[in-house]
Amino acid sequence: MKVEPDQKVRINVKVNGVLHEAEVEPRKLLVDFLRDDLGLTGTKVGCDTTTCGACTILLDGRSVKSCTLLAVQAHGREITTIEGLSSDSKLSPVQEAFKDNFALQCGFCTAGMIVQATFLLSQKKDMTEEEIRDSIHGNICRCTGYQNIVNAIMDASRRMKA
Amino acid sequence: MSYSGKSVKRLYDDKFVTGRSTYVDDLKINALYAAFVRSNYAHAVIKRVHKEDALKMSGVVTVYTGEELNRVIKEGIGPWTTYIDPRPWKIPKWRFAQGEVKYAGEPVAVVLATDKYRARDAAEAITVDYEPVDAVVSMEEAKKDKVLVHKELGTNYGYKNDFVAGNPEKALESADHRKKVEIGNRRLIPSPMEPRGIVASYDGSNLSVWYSTQIPHFARAEFSRIFGIPQSRIRVVMPDVGGGFGSKAHIIPEELAVIASSMMLGKPVRWTATRTEEMMATNSRHNVFRGEIGFNNDGTLVAINGTLEVELGAYLTYTEGIQPTIIPLMIPGPYRVRDLKIESRAIYTNTIPITMYRGASRPEATFIIERLMSTVADELKLDDVTVRERNLVREDQMPYTNPFGLKYDTGDYLTLLREGVKILEYNSMKEWARKEREKGKRVGVGLAYYLEICGFGPWEYAETRVTEDGGVIVAIGGTPHGQGTETAIAQLVADELQVPIERVKVIWGDSDAIPAGTGTYGSRTVSIAGSAAVTASRQVLEKMRRVAARAMKADVEEIEYKNGEFVHKREGKKMRWEEVSRLGYSGKEPGLSASVTLEGDVTFPYGIHMAIVEVDEYGMARVKEYRAYDDIGRVINPALAEGQIHGGGTQAVGQSLYELAVINENGQLAVTYADYYVPTAVESPKFKSYFAEKYHPSPYLTKTKGVGEAALIVGPAAIVRALEDATGGKFDFTPVIPEEILKKMK
Amino acid sequence: MVRIPFKRLFLIIKMYPPQVGYFRPESLGEALEFLEREEAKVLAGGQSLIPMLKLRVLRPKYLVDIGGLKELSYIKEGDTISIGATTRHFELASRRIRGLEILQEAASKVGDVQVRNVGTIGGSVCNADPAADYPAVLTALDATMKVRSKKGTREVKAHDFFKGPFSVDLNPGEVLEEIRIPRLEGYSQTYRKVVRRAGDFALAGLALAIKLDSGVVKDVRIAFTGVSQGPHRAKEAEKVLRDSKLTKDVIKRASEASTSGANPPSDSRGSSWYRLEVMKRLLQTSLEVMANES
Repeated sequence: MKVEPDQKVRINVKVNGVLHEAEVEPRKLLVDFLRDDLGLTGTKVGCDTTTCGACTILLDGRSVKSCTLLAVQAHGREITTIEGLSSDSKLSPVQEAFKDNFALQCGFCTAGMIVQATFLLSQKKDMTEEEIRDSIHGNICRCTGYQNIVNAIMDASRRMKA
Repeated sequence: MSYSGKSVKRLYDDKFVTGRSTYVDDLKINALYAAFVRSNYAHAVIKRVHKEDALKMSGVVTVYTGEELNRVIKEGIGPWTTYIDPRPWKIPKWRFAQGEVKYAGEPVAVVLATDKYRARDAAEAITVDYEPVDAVVSMEEAKKDKVLVHKELGTNYGYKNDFVAGNPEKALESADHRKKVEIGNRRLIPSPMEPRGIVASYDGSNLSVWYSTQIPHFARAEFSRIFGIPQSRIRVVMPDVGGGFGSKAHIIPEELAVIASSMMLGKPVRWTATRTEEMMATNSRHNVFRGEIGFNNDGTLVAINGTLEVELGAYLTYTEGIQPTIIPLMIPGPYRVRDLKIESRAIYTNTIPITMYRGASRPEATFIIERLMSTVADELKLDDVTVRERNLVREDQMPYTNPFGLKYDTGDYLTLLREGVKILEYNSMKEWARKEREKGKRVGVGLAYYLEICGFGPWEYAETRVTEDGGVIVAIGGTPHGQGTETAIAQLVADELQVPIERVKVIWGDSDAIPAGTGTYGSRTVSIAGSAAVTASRQVLEKMRRVAARAMKADVEEIEYKNGEFVHKREGKKMRWEEVSRLGYSGKEPGLSASVTLEGDVTFPYGIHMAIVEVDEYGMARVKEYRAYDDIGRVINPALAEGQIHGGGTQAVGQSLYELAVINENGQLAVTYADYYVPTAVESPKFKSYFAEKYHPSPYLTKTKGVGEAALIVGPAAIVRALEDATGGKFDFTPVIPEEILKKMK
Repeated sequence: MVRIPFKRLFLIIKMYPPQVGYFRPESLGEALEFLEREEAKVLAGGQSLIPMLKLRVLRPKYLVDIGGLKELSYIKEGDTISIGATTRHFELASRRIRGLEILQEAASKVGDVQVRNVGTIGGSVCNADPAADYPAVLTALDATMKVRSKKGTREVKAHDFFKGPFSVDLNPGEVLEEIRIPRLEGYSQTYRKVVRRAGDFALAGLALAIKLDSGVVKDVRIAFTGVSQGPHRAKEAEKVLRDSKLTKDVIKRASEASTSGANPPSDSRGSSWYRLEVMKRLLQTSLEVMANES
């Protein structure tokens, strides 16, 4: 695949189970592709330095910051965004746990935080509080002080085992 | 049925956890994108803006500079006159830069393009010829008045006022001890997670603005004044707002440029700040208190005499005028000291303009007075609790009028201190830390006390409407943006109307739907918007009793309402809520709604917070635990209130140890989000939060006082005190950075 | 993750990359072929490169995306450990290699979980941030960089590879293919990093490997990150330690000697003075721990 700087490139990306074919400039960031081209605005942009994690999505099952990938890098791959975590209006255990534990306030970091928590729990069910804190430091929350988020992730872990 | 007092789950969380929230950048509106060209200089004359290359680029609609924009931007950004008396102020006219830039980062041109990438490309293609002139980027330099930020003002001092009570000189002379002090907070950045954004659309007669703001109605009034459009023809909508912390209560030239562009082009225009732009849009704090205190052998503080300097940055923002006028009033805090002189000064510099931030003036005042209390304790080798016991206003003095005339409404400060020391296990934790230090660890425990003024009147609007099917729509002028106060207000209304909370929907933030309002700031929403909503609901219920009485052919007095039923007391006949709701829209006087504009006043919550800090061998400090005991009046939703303690406490951790907005010698902001250290989960402490069961009510109908700002008001003083306990050093400025700690570490 | 050189900190408002072409090769050979002809920058995980593009600090004509090349993603164990350039941080962080435990420790301290999920060792190494984690480790361990171009292969020692801030010994047309690290069996190893905030680049970091025989230091490797233009091998401190016992005095002298030749920057993380202090304490603490363990 070769694309000139002023050309667009055709990409195929499966997002939340749906295959999307689209033309993008090679420079287009994945997060802008998701938000502006596909209208999946659940994924947020909170910074420009790969710091805040509001744009966290799953790429082939692993959490990544979609502001620090080009859309074309996702060509041929599978993406799950916050919109893809619940189906038939049934919330996922992580989503339920966030609600029940008051783990959000303004909600802006929430999508990234939930996607990150979903990834962590897919890797390891039993995490100590310390491990959880150490695994979500790439997601900044300015409102909650994190305690309720940590509680929610531990609660979600229990729900997933039950 | 009672919801109040319970941790009812937040009502509208589904959209946030599923990605269906709508912040301003999520709005799907076909609009042009704005991108700004910014000054690299702190102070310069704009000689020429070269637009030619940009205008040739594909997708570029036009480029405007101040020359064009200021034809539409008629008036300048001014102070929030509801709370700030502009008369003693020297205020420069602040519109879009024209002819001169006054701070590095100030926008000098705006590109309008069809695509945000192309807008950025075009902004980059614009070059500006500047002629740099002398800049003054530090408050110390600015005080000399040698280089002026605004020539026309003749000085860099924007505000000078002496707050005097009693006779501080005499009190100092007769005090057993005198001590010189210097205390302050350095500049920081509030950093809500959602960067600010705006979409403006002008249809020729009406202006619509979707705006990431805490104060849509005030914004409407300001836009009206600035653009000369009647308020009735302006609609300001706040979509979901990703945090504010006081930083989304002011207006910046970029936003005026977006509105002006949409008016000139007749097309919707949008702009969302990048994080770096957000960091430049709102800087906060930076204040220094220098002076002398007098105190007696028994630990009573008898005199405070000093100068308070507050930096303004290049312009007077909507909110910064609050600080130099309220900090002095609150310096006495909960203590009896009555002889004070605070020379309050506010100073312009060629730096990013400064605004209020969570707590706005009360964190500054509390840090000063709590540092003074700790200074007295250290000087006399007394412990922190004893010193405070000896200075607190006693219950028999309540309501207490402080030396500057503020009337503290209700409270028992001494009892709360004693209870708090027990509940937070202060003494045993102090002892534990002492033992740990003997083993070689650097841990410390610190406490601080606060009395907070909040609520801030002057009024709030609410409307309650019962729909034909028995639903309840509560429209409030308050503007929750993360606090969850909409849920607390729904609890209050559901209790007042004795209906299931699922029936109640709270709406806010659209100035066309809610015709009047003030907003959410100053820890006021549950108290003032909640009381307005309860009052309106009460009036609607009265009307429903009249409807029921009419239907049952009874006098209103004969109708009793309870748990969704209107009962004819004499005859025992009943009508269900739904029946009455339906009847309310037929016959005479149709409609079941009431709106109130409720007057409000200030109120004074208070509490004691404690921090446990650990310092490693490199001088890196971590707050391991944070505990709080507060009397915030009646607590409507404990989980929501605790959330405010957690969040404010974490911001206090940031302010105390991590967050520093470095302005370099060229007046440029020298940090990005990658090295401006907003705490992560790793740096955040474990929280324990308690509220006084025997609370002291506010005069509001809800009996609530407020909790939104408490932990950031008192937290820095508690954390810094714990740091002193851990290291043996003395620290009077926030943030305390690791190398300062290392230097003083024993 | 990106760290912006202090002098360039201001006016980072670009946010979107400039126009750039893109080439995704099917093989390393194809990539080298392309790089030979075109002015291009190699894209692996992009966790350093894309932030640089967003800031428009870099403006290559093309990006050559080798991130998907399976042939470059591997960990081969022998006397020497060979690591393919596009091996992800998380893969290194989740694998304990006997005689090279330090690599797992360092990899698990790079950025955050999300960055480690996509960022590669080769990308981080070639970005050569003076505060990055691997360069110090590779310098301490005398790793060898295998560099490929259409013309052939050459090998460069880590010490020579890191030329300065954001600058490595790679010529146009060349790609870092593999990193080879000798297995250090019987060495105590540690990578310690002092940060202002979790996930941040090192204010100072220390890679330390030490071989003790009856309490006597037989071999020692010390390299710091964050304290100079590139990784700082503390040869003077190594000299103090070699053939000595880890007594309190020796540790103290080694720690003092560790700053010799270091030239730490002053920036928002801390002053030059502070970094020197942290260096000494890092080495002291680490050596004390090792002395206690042995």
